[in-house]
Amino acid sequence: MGAVLVLAAGPVALGAAPTPEPTASPGVAGPGAASRAADRGTQLYLENCASCHGEQGQGAQRGPSLVGVGPASVDFQVATGRMPLSHEAQQARRREPVFSAADISALVDHVASLSGGGPQIPRVAPGNPVSGREVFAANCAPCHGATGAGAALTNGWTAPPLYDATAVQIAEAVRVGPGLMPVFPSQVLDDRQVDDVTTYVRRLRGERMDRGGNPLDRLGPLAEGLVAWLATLGLLVAAARWLGRRAGE
Amino acid sequence: MSIRRPPPAERAASRRIVAAFLTGAAGAVGFAVTYVLGGDTRWEGVTLSVAFAGLAVGLSQWGRHLVPTGGYVEEHEGFAPPPFEQTMTTRALTAPDSPVRRRGLLAALGLALTALGAAALFPLRSLLPFDRVRPVRARTDTPWGPGVRLVDAGGRPLRPQDVPADTMVGVFPEGHVDAGDGPAFAVRLEPGRFSRQPSGGHLDGLAVWSLLCTHAGCPVRLYLRGTGRLLCPCHQSSFDLLADARPVAGPAARPLPGLPIEVGPDGFLRAAGDFTGPPGAGFWSRP
Amino acid sequence: MITDRLARALDDRLRLSPIARRALAKVFPDHWSFMLGELALYSFVALVLTGVYLTFFFEASSADRVYHGDYAPLDGATTSAAYASTVRLSWDVRAGLLIRQTHHWAALVFAAAILLHLSRIFFTGAFRKPRELNWLIGVTMLALALANGFTGYSMPDDLLSGLGLRIIVSVVESIPLVGAWLASLALGGEFPSDVMIPRLYVSHVLLVPAVLVVLISLHLGILVRQKHSQFPGPGRTEHNVVGSRLWPSYTLRSLALFAWVLAVLFALGGLVQINPVWMYGPFQPAQATSPAQPDWYVAWGDGALRLFPPWEFRIAGHLVPAPFLPGVVLGGVTFLALYAWPFAERLRTKDRRQHHLLDRPRDHPARTGIGVAALTFYAVLVVAAGDDILARLLRLPVYDLLSVLRVLVLVLPVLAGLLAFLLARALRRGDAAGVGALTRADLRRCAPRPAGPSEGGDGPGGQETPAVDRPGGRIEMWPEGDAWHWRYRDDAGRLVVTGNRAVLSRQEADSAARLAYPGVDRIVVPGPPPAAPAGPIRTALRRWGRAMAAGSLLLAAIVDRRRDRRRQERERADDTAQAEDAGSTGDGRT
Repeated sequence: MGAVLVLAAGPVALGAAPTPEPTASPGVAGPGAASRAADRGTQLYLENCASCHGEQGQGAQRGPSLVGVGPASVDFQVATGRMPLSHEAQQARRREPVFSAADISALVDHVASLSGGGPQIPRVAPGNPVSGREVFAANCAPCHGATGAGAALTNGWTAPPLYDATAVQIAEAVRVGPGLMPVFPSQVLDDRQVDDVTTYVRRLRGERMDRGGNPLDRLGPLAEGLVAWLATLGLLVAAARWLGRRAGE
Repeated sequence: MSIRRPPPAERAASRRIVAAFLTGAAGAVGFAVTYVLGGDTRWEGVTLSVAFAGLAVGLSQWGRHLVPTGGYVEEHEGFAPPPFEQTMTTRALTAPDSPVRRRGLLAALGLALTALGAAALFPLRSLLPFDRVRPVRARTDTPWGPGVRLVDAGGRPLRPQDVPADTMVGVFPEGHVDAGDGPAFAVRLEPGRFSRQPSGGHLDGLAVWSLLCTHAGCPVRLYLRGTGRLLCPCHQSSFDLLADARPVAGPAARPLPGLPIEVGPDGFLRAAGDFTGPPGAGFWSRP
Repeated sequence: MITDRLARALDDRLRLSPIARRALAKVFPDHWSFMLGELALYSFVALVLTGVYLTFFFEASSADRVYHGDYAPLDGATTSAAYASTVRLSWDVRAGLLIRQTHHWAALVFAAAILLHLSRIFFTGAFRKPRELNWLIGVTMLALALANGFTGYSMPDDLLSGLGLRIIVSVVESIPLVGAWLASLALGGEFPSDVMIPRLYVSHVLLVPAVLVVLISLHLGILVRQKHSQFPGPGRTEHNVVGSRLWPSYTLRSLALFAWVLAVLFALGGLVQINPVWMYGPFQPAQATSPAQPDWYVAWGDGALRLFPPWEFRIAGHLVPAPFLPGVVLGGVTFLALYAWPFAERLRTKDRRQHHLLDRPRDHPARTGIGVAALTFYAVLVVAAGDDILARLLRLPVYDLLSVLRVLVLVLPVLAGLLAFLLARALRRGDAAGVGALTRADLRRCAPRPAGPSEGGDGPGGQETPAVDRPGGRIEMWPEGDAWHWRYRDDAGRLVVTGNRAVLSRQEADSAARLAYPGVDRIVVPGPPPAAPAGPIRTALRRWGRAMAAGSLLLAAIVDRRRDRRRQERERADDTAQAEDAGSTGDGRT
């Protein structure tokens, strides 16, 4: 298991090393491309982010400071479509990303260039699902549910379902702790554990997991109870009614 | 003797019934084939369901169309017993030599039976082995105590720096990771934000509380970072860690017990004593 | 032919025919709601069948096992034997998952069918004398079904059920004085103990099912002894049961229902996933999953635990924890109320008579109102058990939803009960056929006396049950071969119901008919009944059946007919002379 957290190349020297995340790979070719990407990043930031987070990422009334958040956080927020927000909301929800992979990468570099620091975009390698399951049950299942279907938290916050997240996004969320989510730095989960849990979460969404048929959105026993009642009333009682008669018949 | 040809409606019903039974048979065969071919839960369910549904449709068509429904009456004797029978029965039961007239003997018999019944309850006590701790003591004591090191789920002892800010680390008494009443958690908060000091004290903001909800004992593992609050997945009780894990919403009524901690000479975190109260749900003798 | 010889061979050795003939002729009312209990019965049979299969693979032990099998995320992991064997059952035993899921679905349907059956019994007053005993047995079976469902849900030792078990243990521990002792005795130590799963297992597969089988036998035995109740209607009195006979009509219908229950359960078991324990993972005391809820039939308890405010109090320095009132007291009160209801109602209405004719729900508005209020109350509790799921689906803050539910659980039952009470009274006073046909006038008529369901017990519903002792019409008796038959024909001649079995003598026919229709005039008619006003199918069937069954006997009967008729006419003359009601003369048609 040669899982290594490859530190994404520094913000300025991005062009020198390909970013590990394939979807975020800008496909750079040379120094000229690098400067073009940096310009693009600045432009995108000023157009889409600065109004809330401030021109230097210092934060404002409408948006938190981006100082020291790190590339992983920016990539997570933008690549999952949570940012930029289309309207002010308590909790940004996952949607189609607004920008292309290259644009996201440029944006990540720009924000990183504003302050530096923070977790880098992790590089994910295939892990061991058995250990991943244990890590998941101990750290993730309480909020996201053992099935990864997500759950409600207080005050209208939710822990989202995990099925749409890519491997890198999962690892980013673990390292960054977006929103209310706790952070799991390397003292708590080492890189291999992150690889393992990522592998397990990616597997959770697979249809093979729903070996028993329609999973009912994996909502659990009450959804099953509802189905049982529908079947009882709709099929069994209806049959009894058809076999028997009604009053006055 | 001539057997009349059945009318068309009846012949149609018979055909439907045969078709249903044949469908059922096909379903049964399908189930067997699915099984032999390696089995797939969906197809097994569908084929078996078709097998039974075929039976059901055939039988109900038969019951509805080929045999008459209704048209019969059965008399109901009522439950007024025949007076003679009743009198004779009670007389037999209460004849002069009847055992029920021997009040004294009956009382003695009753005493013997009551004693036997009471004695029969004693072996039930063995359901809780005698070498186990008595319930209230078991509920009050936990594996924590002075000098017990804090370990993570994998059994590794923890140093203070293993508990960074903004996260929640499940901690266990060393050697008792699977104990039911041992689970606790460590968090690192800004000491300045405490509106109420943690009952177990804190080491530069690092505080430890029992993980078990004081309402019904579920692990309160939903940590809403930043708000400093915990949420219980079972009944949505919320606890404010900044105010000594006091319940702020939901059905829980008592704060989570804290665990006094210190750093041992080996540099690892260890408990300075047991929880500040019995962990988990409340009970009658809870202090 | 084979049936005939087999029946004779058995009967020659066991002398069963006197009982068997009565049993085969037992009359079942045709109303569909009488089959709700059968749904529960057949779900139970499905539970036993699938459950026995599961015992071959389930290992009820907390001992460590290493799972090796198809489910990769657990391959090589050490879990309890119970959990490992459940995952193996689901992933590595061919057809194992189908049977496991069918078993679980059957449990959910079983509880639902029991609740429907109980509601039917409640709203129609079928629990009244002489059926209180069966009501008590039924309520006990409901409690056992819930308990066994819960133990079955807990046995796989997965994370979700472990949370549920921990909650139940906490609820038991909340009982004053003895709580901690009870919980420890049951678990053999502190939660989670190593003997907990074997004990759950023994109670799940042996103790409770054995008691259930005994109680079901008693339930059915008493049902047969007491005979069915029935809805009022033409020809139906407190002294008879009108409907179809067990053989062949009800046998076919009941078997059809049985097959249909299995069809639905296996379809669910194959197509809809239930309790995917492999994803939940094994139970660990420090782990949790959300949303956490129990199966629906215990969800009312969980909902009550969620809704109840954080109230704890101390008695002489001793703690009464928050789960005590919503957990222990509510559960106890629920079942106590169910057990006590028939006696409480009798105390209130002072009605000590026997009832074999059922009320319609409208006949007893107070009972209907209270029943609807109770059902609404428990339904809100079940919804409350899913408040976190609802909060997520509706995107509402969970505590806002909790506050709303706390109000609804008190308000909604009162409103629903009141509405049901008023509607029932409007229906009873008016002449509308159903709720849909109620007019505004009907509603206005019931308005002047606004009374809550709680004080409505003075309604004369209990006493007004139409005890039809003299429904009019007449009884006709006739000989056929060496047997006597009788039938009831109402005044208009529209309804003809035949006595369910032939008897040997005219006296027997006479006394059976007098039991079923006391005070109705009885006459002898010459010969088999004319074809009832029935559809062409039934008419044709009767012809066909007669040809098949009677065969040459029919021919003999026709030959003897002349002599028969002469004899019958003589007897009829005697009978009319002796009849209590001299005004009625037989005009038996042939």
